[in-house]
Amino acid sequence: MSYLTHAGRAEAFVLDHERTSWHDETLWYVRQKRDRAVYAVPEFQKLRELASQIKNHTLSRLDYYLAQFEAAALANGVQVHWAADAAEHNDLVLRIIRQHGATRVVKSKSMLTEECHLNPHLLAHGLEVIDTDLGERIIQLRAEPPSHLVLPAIHLKKEDVGETFHRHLGTAPGLTDPQQLTEAARQHLRAKFLAGEVALTGVNFAIAETGSVVVCTNEGNADLGVSLAPVHIASMGIEKLLPRLQDLGVFTRLLARSATGQPVTTYTAHYTKPAPGRELHVIIVDNGRTQQLGRPDFRASLKCIRCGACMNTCPVYRRSGGHSYDFTVPGPIGSILSPNIDLKKHSTLPFASTLCGSCTDVCPVKIDIHTQLYKWRQLVAEANHLPTAKKLGLKFMGRLLASPGAFKLSGQLARRGLRLLPHALSHHRGANAWAIARELPEPPRQSFRDWYAQQPSPTA
Amino acid sequence: MSPTRARILAAARASQPAETALPPLPDFGGDASLARFSEVLASIGGTVARLPSLAALAGTVAELFPAARLIASPLLATAHPIDQQTPTEVLADVDLAVLPGAFGVAENGAVWLPEASMLHRALPTVTQHLALVLDHRQLVATMHQAYARLPNGPGGYGLFIAGPSKTADIEQSLVIGAHGARSLVVLLY
Repeated sequence: MSYLTHAGRAEAFVLDHERTSWHDETLWYVRQKRDRAVYAVPEFQKLRELASQIKNHTLSRLDYYLAQFEAAALANGVQVHWAADAAEHNDLVLRIIRQHGATRVVKSKSMLTEECHLNPHLLAHGLEVIDTDLGERIIQLRAEPPSHLVLPAIHLKKEDVGETFHRHLGTAPGLTDPQQLTEAARQHLRAKFLAGEVALTGVNFAIAETGSVVVCTNEGNADLGVSLAPVHIASMGIEKLLPRLQDLGVFTRLLARSATGQPVTTYTAHYTKPAPGRELHVIIVDNGRTQQLGRPDFRASLKCIRCGACMNTCPVYRRSGGHSYDFTVPGPIGSILSPNIDLKKHSTLPFASTLCGSCTDVCPVKIDIHTQLYKWRQLVAEANHLPTAKKLGLKFMGRLLASPGAFKLSGQLARRGLRLLPHALSHHRGANAWAIARELPEPPRQSFRDWYAQQPSPTA
Repeated sequence: MSPTRARILAAARASQPAETALPPLPDFGGDASLARFSEVLASIGGTVARLPSLAALAGTVAELFPAARLIASPLLATAHPIDQQTPTEVLADVDLAVLPGAFGVAENGAVWLPEASMLHRALPTVTQHLALVLDHRQLVATMHQAYARLPNGPGGYGLFIAGPSKTADIEQSLVIGAHGARSLVVLLY
C-alpha cells in the first residue's frame, strides 16, 4: 500500500499563494503574541524546566500515579474506565450513552477523541454529536478534520465560514463579519447546550492526589455543556497526569501563554465530584502510549500539553497547513507522535522539517522535538520506507561527502555544469524538486578551496 | 477490575524509565497589587468596578446593569432563587449572575469561584453577564500562590474565570461572548 507524501498533500494548499501567505503570517503573529507573553514572565525558563521535570517524574512512576488517580477519583464518586485502544474507548462511550437512553451529545474539544475517531462511531449508531467549540463546529459542518491543535479552523477564511454558516445555519449570504458569525453560532449552539443529555470533554490535566480532571477553554463550552447535561464523560490519555494540585501552578502559567499568548485560558475548570444526582465518568486511554513510553528516544513526546506552539513557529507547518500531515496532531509534535502509530504511513512526516530547532526552543515542557525528528528519520530509513530516489540520493551524497577527492571533483563539475545547462534542465521539476519554487543561486566561479589556496600564507 | 486496567498498568510499569525526582515548587513572589490585577483584567476584556462597601452592591448592580431582568445571586435579597435543582429553562433566561469570588490572581486577572459560590454549576457560564464580587485584600500574585490557597483541594467543582467568554476561531479575530458570559465585571470592595 502506498501513501501520499507530506509534500504531495501540501501541494493543494500551496497552490493558493495568497492563502498560504496569510496562513504563514497569521501563525507567525500567534508566535509573536506568545513571545510577548513569555518575555513578561521573568521566571518563564525556570517554569519550563520545572514542567519538564514534573512530567519526566510522572512518566517514570506512571503506574503509581494512574492507580493513585483512580483511587482518588473512585472515592469522589467518579466512575473510572480503562481503554487499551480507540475501539475500546469508543465502545465505552457508546455504552455509557446508551445506558442513559440518550441521543443528544454535546462535545467540547478533545484531541484524544479525534485520535479515536469517536464522532463517526457515535454518528453511525444514530446519535447526534455536536462539537461545541466554535472552530470545531465550523469544521464539523464542513466535514473536515482540525488543522491545528488549538486553532482547528485556522486553514479557513471568514468567507469560508460565512458560506458554511449560510448553508447550515441559515445566516445571510455573504455574511463575513466574525462578530456576527460568532453570534449566530452562539444562538445555534445554545439550543444544543440546553438540550444536551451527555457531555463529552477531553482532559488537559488529571491530578493524581485529588482525582480531579482539569479542562481549559476560552469559550466556556466545556463547562456549559457539562453543567447542564446529566452525564459527563471525560476522556484522557494516560500521559495527562500530574502528581499534585500545586503542579497546576506551573502548567496553567505555561499553557495559554505558549498557545495563544494569553496569560491564562478564560476558564480553568476543576471537575472532582459529580453534582448530586449526576454522573462523571473518566475514561483512561492507552492507544499506543505505553508503547511510546517504552521507546527511550521518543518517550519525551508524551510530555506534550497540546499547546500548539511548535506548529505556530514551524516554517514548514506554517507554509503547508495542518491537513498536509494527515494525522490527528499536525506539525512538529505530530511528526514525532505519528511514526509510533504507523511508521510506514507517516514515514514522510519526520522529513517535513528543516531541523531548525525552533519547535524545541518554544516547547513549554522541553521536548527535544527536532532531535526526535532526526532519530525517526534513521528508523524510517532502516525500515526501508524511504522513496527510492531519496534513498539512492542520500547514499550517493553520503559517499561523496565522505571522500575529499570526490567532493572536489563534483564541485568543479557542478559549477561548470550549472553554467552550461539550460535553465529548463537544471530546474526540471522531475529532476530537481528543490527548484520547483526556487531559483538556484548563481554558481560561483571558484570554490572556497581554490580561493584559499591562492591566499598568501600568513606570516609567522 | 477490568483486564484492560491490569494490562495498561503492567505495560506502563514495563515501559517507564528509572524514577526521576519530583521537583519542589518555588513561590517566585511577584506583584499582587490591585493595579496589576486591574490592568491585566482590562487587557483580557474584563473590567473592574469599585464598591464603596459591600452594602452598596445592590445599587451598583442596578446602575451597571439597568436592563437585567432575571438576576441570580446569593448576595442580593431581591435576586431570583436558584439552586442546583433549578430547571434548565430558568437558567437559560438568567441575564446576570452576581457571585462571590474567593480570591483574584494579579498575573492573569483570574478569579477563583468555588462550587459553594455558584448556586448552580451552570450559572457562571449560562448567564448572559457575570459579576464577581471580590474583597480587594484577597489578591495573590501568581497561580502558584493561587493553588496554595486551596490546601483542601478544588472542591467538587471549581473554576478560575479570567475575563468574559471569548473566541478567535474565525481568522484570529477576537470576539467577546462565545458561549459563556458576554461580559465580566469584578466588583471590588
